[in-house]
Amino acid sequence: MLSTSNSRTALRQLQRSRCLLKRLVHNSIVPEHCDVLVVGGGPAGLAFAAALGSSHRVQESLRVVLVEASDLSKVKQWSLPEGYSNRVSSITNASRGFLRDIGAWSHVEESRTRPVEEMQVWDGISDARVAFSASELLSSQPISELSRLTENLNLQRALLHRIACLPSIEIMDKVKVQSIVQDNQDGSDWPLVHLSDGRVIRTRLLVGADGPNSPVRSYAGIKSYGWAYDTHAIVGTLYHTPRGPYSPPNTTAYQRFLPTGPIAFLPLSETASSMVWSTKPSLAAALKAVESSVLVAMINAAFRLPEVSIRYLHSRILEAQESGSPLTLDELREELAFREQSHSIDSHSAFSSLMSSEEASGIPPEGADSLPPPITSIQPGTIASFPLRLSHAESYVGEGKGARTVLVGDAAHTIHPLAGQGLNLGLADAEALAECIDQAVAGGLDIGSHTALLSYPRNRYFENHKMLSAVDKLHKLYSTTAEPVVWARSVGLEVVNELDTVKTALMMSAGSHRTNVSQTGWELAARGVGSISQNLHSARMLGEGVAGMVGASVQQLFKQATTPRQ
Amino acid sequence: MRASTSSRHILRSAKNIRTLHTTVQRQTSLASSSSSSTVNPDEIAHFSRLSAQWWDERGEFGMLHKMNPVRTQFVREKLVEMEYEDGHEDLNEAKVLEGLKVLDVGCGGGLFSESLTRLGANTLGIDASASNIAIASLHASNDPALSFTSSSLPQRFGSSVSHKGKGKLTYEHTSVEDLLAREGPNSFDVVCSMEVVEHVDNPRAFLTSCAEILKPGGHLFLSTIARTPLAYFLTIFSAEQLLRFVTPGTHTWSKYINPSELTSFFHNLHSSSSLSSPSSGEIEVKGQTMDIEVG
Ligand SMILES: Cc1cc2nc3c(=O)[nH]c(=O)nc-3n(C[C@H](O)[C@H](O)[C@H](O)COP(=O)(O)OP(=O)(O)OC[C@H]3O[C@@H](n4cnc5c(N)ncnc54)[C@H](O)[C@@H]3O)c2cc1C
Repeated sequence: MLSTSNSRTALRQLQRSRCLLKRLVHNSIVPEHCDVLVVGGGPAGLAFAAALGSSHRVQESLRVVLVEASDLSKVKQWSLPEGYSNRVSSITNASRGFLRDIGAWSHVEESRTRPVEEMQVWDGISDARVAFSASELLSSQPISELSRLTENLNLQRALLHRIACLPSIEIMDKVKVQSIVQDNQDGSDWPLVHLSDGRVIRTRLLVGADGPNSPVRSYAGIKSYGWAYDTHAIVGTLYHTPRGPYSPPNTTAYQRFLPTGPIAFLPLSETASSMVWSTKPSLAAALKAVESSVLVAMINAAFRLPEVSIRYLHSRILEAQESGSPLTLDELREELAFREQSHSIDSHSAFSSLMSSEEASGIPPEGADSLPPPITSIQPGTIASFPLRLSHAESYVGEGKGARTVLVGDAAHTIHPLAGQGLNLGLADAEALAECIDQAVAGGLDIGSHTALLSYPRNRYFENHKMLSAVDKLHKLYSTTAEPVVWARSVGLEVVNELDTVKTALMMSAGSHRTNVSQTGWELAARGVGSISQNLHSARMLGEGVAGMVGASVQQLFKQATTPRQ
Repeated sequence: MRASTSSRHILRSAKNIRTLHTTVQRQTSLASSSSSSTVNPDEIAHFSRLSAQWWDERGEFGMLHKMNPVRTQFVREKLVEMEYEDGHEDLNEAKVLEGLKVLDVGCGGGLFSESLTRLGANTLGIDASASNIAIASLHASNDPALSFTSSSLPQRFGSSVSHKGKGKLTYEHTSVEDLLAREGPNSFDVVCSMEVVEHVDNPRAFLTSCAEILKPGGHLFLSTIARTPLAYFLTIFSAEQLLRFVTPGTHTWSKYINPSELTSFFHNLHSSSSLSSPSSGEIEVKGQTMDIEVG
């Protein structure tokens, strides 16, 4: 048997050789240490850091550093500029509850946020429509809004102000993560993160909040599956006349499902709103290239004109673009006048895209409340577009060569914006991961270990997956490629019931409680949409009589979803 | 009943059990080469590999990693409970281990010792296997928050590293009997021995030493695997044969101890012994069988 002194000698020898190795292998850069290194100062990374720093346990025991490539002082100095930013998100009541709990919401400039009190969603082909308002939300306390539209900058600034009050969080901005390697000296598995300013940080846990192209995810060797939607989202800030004295205030969000993708109108103030228009990439490019006044008319038409004519206008826009002479406003107005006439749309009605601005500010015509107010102009410089894709990392926690890594927000998943959920999912991730780490600290665990992180994917992976697939199915349901669905929609079959599913999902996700209510809604929505597609498929074979069946199953679903949970 | 002064044989089986077979052979070569002054990077690589293996949460010792949070929670909860019973109402539950002198007997690769240290305990982890101590020391020296001290292995990151670690951690290759002989009785506030007692040849003597080294009013935590058919199924059959989680032979059936046997052992010790040490302390025995998650 080995004596103690023998093993001491062995250890001493180990140490000596280690020093030598270190000198040989590493050059003179001595790594700094931290317990949690967050890569990415987007909404998810900042919310996670703020949540983590708000825990007393964490404050006492962990050193947390956040690295962001861009200049965050600009975000911090953001102070009610005249124009609105084009990156606006709908923050659900549940997310707002979380932000309030971690002391961040009080730093949000509330005057720049806008409550959504009502939503109107309709089908571009059949015009079947659902409307729902906050008053319909099932809750023990009355809820006045479905969600709160907030500029991402406003939220990020609030989070930065909150973090400034938390001494245990250190932010390094204008610093890029250049490479990540594993410090596998002596069986260690800690990541060594090389920064653009030459510093090297050795971290117990590396958090990838670094967006869809996540370098942390690549380092961890975590695969991400998914597909591009062959769709780009055009965003922009729209100006319009205020709602008249006889109309409700501008607190209604509108979304029309066109076969090319949905177009959404999200209120920001009485005279400004944000747009997210998801459409084919070629069309998005063409729309971005036209004159601003032409785009204004196209947006108004996209909410109003029957689908066949929109399709025609889109082909005109594309042709003109390809021929090198983009469509002019006069040409477009001429087309619109002709189209509206053939659809018997009166040029003074709410459904005309040709009203003058004087008309727009007068007494609103009948039906005006079912449409967004007519757009008069676009805030310069706010039109931009993003490719949309569905992606989901195969796991959220790295192992082996990628040990001590974890993903949150868009680094873990990206989702179609039609339900305004991307950022909300990221915030829910941030909350769950911070909670998981807090518990691990309480239990004396190594917070970088797989065991310590286990509860995070358990809480989030399936929840996110349900939401991703529900939204994916909704997107597919309304896009032209799903054959049975197109057939069903072209004959107007029970689209209202499909919309009920959308409604259920949106309403549930707007819930005030930070429980799994929202997720339950999405789960039901996912199942509902799935069964609709299946039912429609059989419907085509069986012909008539199936509509009732589909309707009944969706109604059942809706009842289930809106019944308060036990 | 007095503690056995002869210690080696008691933990001999534990040594073999808690050590990978290759280690035992390697150990010898490491020991024999220790007189030479030449640096041998092979040895580092070897221990690094072993350490990585031991600490692989999905690997052979995965069950141990899974059980660790449960054990830690158990210890914390019991300590908190006792503190309240002793009338310490202003207790900060999160800091119940802070500043306590804790001995982890049979610390293995150091999993439990590290957790105790993070919770603020000044921990001494001992193991009868030199290579376990090397594994544990290497691992701890990689973690700047552990205030790891070793007479032979200086801290890898030196004192320049700012950390918020609270407790101090030390490892030593020794047995509880030798430690008792050296430090004397009444030395620790808390003594833990997790999944060790079922591996020792003479549990009675082993447990007596554990009890003696404890301060009056201290706490002794033991976990073992109950000698029940279910435990047999779970640990021997499922784990070893079926899932190959554990090197076959890691657990020896005849050394399993039933929690009730442990309790009665201490009750006997309590009433028959003139020792003051464990008598005022609480005896907590928890069979951990049910906490094992297989798969
Ligand atoms: C058109 C559109 C509309 C949307 N509308 C909504 C909505 O209404 N509601 C909603 O909830 N969500 C919406 N989303 C989604 C939402 O914007 C995203 O989910 C959200 O921004 C993701 O936040 P994040 O912090 O995870 O990632 P990001 O915002 O992408 O942040 C990642 C950060 O990491 C940094 N980074 C990356 N690599 C490095 C590196 N190597 N070194 C240092 N830093 C690095 C980047 O600089 C960036 O700041 C929309 C998305 C789109 C495209």
